Amino acid sequence: MLRGFLILVLFFLLGEALRLVFVLPISGGVLGMILITLTLMLQGRVSNELATASQGLISVLVLLIMPGVVGAFFTVSQYQEQWLAVIAALLLGTVLSVLSTLLLMRALVRTGQRSRLGEGGADD
Amino acid sequence: MTDLLTRVLALPETLSATPILAIGLTLSAFFIGNWLFRRLGQPLWLPPVVLSAVALALIIALLPLEYDRYRDGAQWLMLLLGPATVALGIPLYQQMHHIRALWRPIVCTLPLAATLASVYALVIAWALGATPEVLASLAPKSVTAPIAIGITEQLGGAVPLMMGGLLVTGVLATLFVDLLAGPLGIEDERILGFALGLNGHAIGTARAFEISHTAGAFASLGMGLTGVFTALILPLIWRLV
Repeated sequence: MLRGFLILVLFFLLGEALRLVFVLPISGGVLGMILITLTLMLQGRVSNELATASQGLISVLVLLIMPGVVGAFFTVSQYQEQWLAVIAALLLGTVLSVLSTLLLMRALVRTGQRSRLGEGGADD
Repeated sequence: MTDLLTRVLALPETLSATPILAIGLTLSAFFIGNWLFRRLGQPLWLPPVVLSAVALALIIALLPLEYDRYRDGAQWLMLLLGPATVALGIPLYQQMHHIRALWRPIVCTLPLAATLASVYALVIAWALGATPEVLASLAPKSVTAPIAIGITEQLGGAVPLMMGGLLVTGVLATLFVDLLAGPLGIEDERILGFALGLNGHAIGTARAFEISHTAGAFASLGMGLTGVFTALILPLIWRLV
């Protein structure tokens, strides 16, 4: 468990180092996530230690974002005049973007299946 | 006796010298939120993260404790967001065979869907007269918190407003994916997971892991790709407009 946590911390630091050295707009955590995925693909297996540590952290993800979320309650009054714009953007914007993603993925997955069937055999 | 009382009343302020107070409060609210969620019959439109956040806001508001003092302490907890983001790479790897099978739809959907996720909101907010600061805070609304903080700061938005928008978006995206899946006839949990992560970042991903491990992996993928792509594309859009 701790050994797995060490690996996660090391990959995070590696991501941060890359971000700082190359002045990238992507966070160190995401760079670390990409790097650890690529490393595991090269290795072809994941240790139990690492799997346990990652499961532990993922299960408390909600806890980790709570301090940021709660800040919204204490600053919301500053934007009173614009609440309609904010609410409409969040509500309509989200329903439209969810709909777009679902329709795009459904259409593309179907086309993929059809063309594979058309080729006369699936490779997976 | 009055001295004792004064010291007791000053406790929230003096105890907040150690970050453990903020961490203790956050943990308590986390369990209160989860308990409430179960008591309310696990409503989809009111996920544990909202209940916990409301509980936490109430606790902070009731205690003689400034929000800024709380935030200083709670930052120790948020430090773990970095390694936790890295941890998302493990389910991603474990589900790689599913992802390989669907790489073409994923690669085609992602740039368009991730751009739309912020452009829809930007156009609506702009049409209703939002200021540039508010627009910059709404732009990364579908991006996972650690990346979104960086984007908002870069664009000149307000981080607390952005976090509020992020929370609302995560909850709404989770709700809409659940509501729209039936009428659209989508049962493929890979598509549902991907849509949850792409639109609803960590909140959607948490929901996807409730559906299945596969849905969770696709959500992690959607969330990660959206974060990277948005971080690259939004500063460019900002410069053009």
